[in-house]
Amino acid sequence: MTTISTILLVEDNEDDVFLMERAIKGAGIINPLFVVEDGQEAIDYLSGAGRYSNRDIHPIPSIVFLDLKLPIKGGLDVLRWIRSKTELETLVVIVLTSSNEPSDLKQSYRLGANSYVVKPPTASQLLDLAKAFKWYWLQFNEFEKVS
Amino acid sequence: VGVSKISRDITDRKRAEQIASRLAAVVESSDDAIISMGLDTIITTWNRGAERTFGYTAAEAIGKSVTMLIPQGSEDEEPRILKRLLDGERVDHYETVRQRKDGSRVSVSLTVSPIYYGGKIIGVSKISRDISDRKRAEEALRQAQEELRRHAETLEQQVADRTARLSETIQELEAFSYSVSHDMRSPLRAMQGYSDALLEEYKDKLDAAAVNYLTRINRVASRMDLLIQDVLAYSRVSKGEVQRRPVNVENVLADVIQQYPDLERVRSSIRVHSPIPSVLGHEAYLTQIFSNLLNNAVKFVAPGTTPKIDVSATIQEDMVRISLVDNGIGIAPEHQKQIFQIFGRVYSEKKFEGTGIGLAIARKAAERMGGSIGVISELGRGSEFFVLLKEVA
Repeated sequence: MTTISTILLVEDNEDDVFLMERAIKGAGIINPLFVVEDGQEAIDYLSGAGRYSNRDIHPIPSIVFLDLKLPIKGGLDVLRWIRSKTELETLVVIVLTSSNEPSDLKQSYRLGANSYVVKPPTASQLLDLAKAFKWYWLQFNEFEKVS
Repeated sequence: VGVSKISRDITDRKRAEQIASRLAAVVESSDDAIISMGLDTIITTWNRGAERTFGYTAAEAIGKSVTMLIPQGSEDEEPRILKRLLDGERVDHYETVRQRKDGSRVSVSLTVSPIYYGGKIIGVSKISRDISDRKRAEEALRQAQEELRRHAETLEQQVADRTARLSETIQELEAFSYSVSHDMRSPLRAMQGYSDALLEEYKDKLDAAAVNYLTRINRVASRMDLLIQDVLAYSRVSKGEVQRRPVNVENVLADVIQQYPDLERVRSSIRVHSPIPSVLGHEAYLTQIFSNLLNNAVKFVAPGTTPKIDVSATIQEDMVRISLVDNGIGIAPEHQKQIFQIFGRVYSEKKFEGTGIGLAIARKAAERMGGSIGVISELGRGSEFFVLLKEVA
């Protein structure tokens, strides 16, 4: 049985959420997309806590788009938490951030990010990114099935 | 025989008397205080040195106990010295304090020897040297050293305080630039994103003016983003320690030329004249410098001119001077300093686009690598920009 992968977008900025959703739609990505707005919510979602306990409605994602600057718990904290969980250690995490600070990049990879992408400034560049993402991560990449 | 013995006895005694009187003269004229006393501490002789040192005349001192010279609180010193002497020990250069007739104290170095008669100790001779001057000098030295130590401590404290303040400032600056890079760029992305969305989704409903306005919004937003990125690049170059390593400049130049479309052969002619020696530097900084300099060189040309740039190097003492000669519009002497300042642009943006930070970044990067950057130019005659960096030994 092949199930379509779920994508989790961890992003607190509603404009970025809107533009990302628009780009994903524009690229023809049909995978279900869930959005959580802070680091703690991301952890709650991934651990199936509280309102995310029903895995039929909120399945474990195959890919996480992770912003770094988040309220309550930052993206690097979320990443550290993810890699500390045996069941999530192979989850694909793509850092998607405004920051091109070398320290953020280094820290992200050190903590086990699979990719690091600086949010593109224009809508057309974002669309290009969504297409490239679809092409590479959704068509070619193999995921470990997380049960 | 008898006569001769008597005369010899007389001669011996005379000689002994002569020696004794000579010795007495020596003792009398000595600068040191020389005193002799019985085991009962009663003073038996007192020279002029003793008079000078302690203030008592011989008449005043002889027959008195030597304990009159001992200051209050040190009364047990004299018995201790005597005991050591009777035990067969020597007392040499024993530094202590004595009291003068007027009650004042005098620092002395004491040498005490036993006086024997018939194999038994019958008394003591004491030589006291006034060492007040030396003691004062020692004290002055000690105080000076103490002062110096306190000074050094104050200085160290000041340095520590300033270092702490400075690193606090640096941390604040880092937090600031971090927040700039995260927070200030996201509204720009929204501006660009929504105006793009409008242009795409509502194209049919917008007239030419509306499209023009949206395009302008888009352009200024992207310009603002460039500005922020350049300011961040400048602040990144300005901070932190730079680890210098040997860098192959020819490779850096080749990479830069390949990376930027404007530097392509079709649009400009860049000639790198080998050999360009390797320098001690930082690859990312060198890349920043050459990409800024080359992009400037192809940008600042008169309309219709194909940019031409010659890159070459010479050695000046232990520095490599890398020179970029262009056929651009040149720079008037009064502007040659300004262009290396942040936002030190000379031309309006309309004429030549850019943020006005590029050369400031290049200057900072060169300085951080222990080098320098400069320009030789005349208005309308092209420019030579040069970078001086340490040669790899």
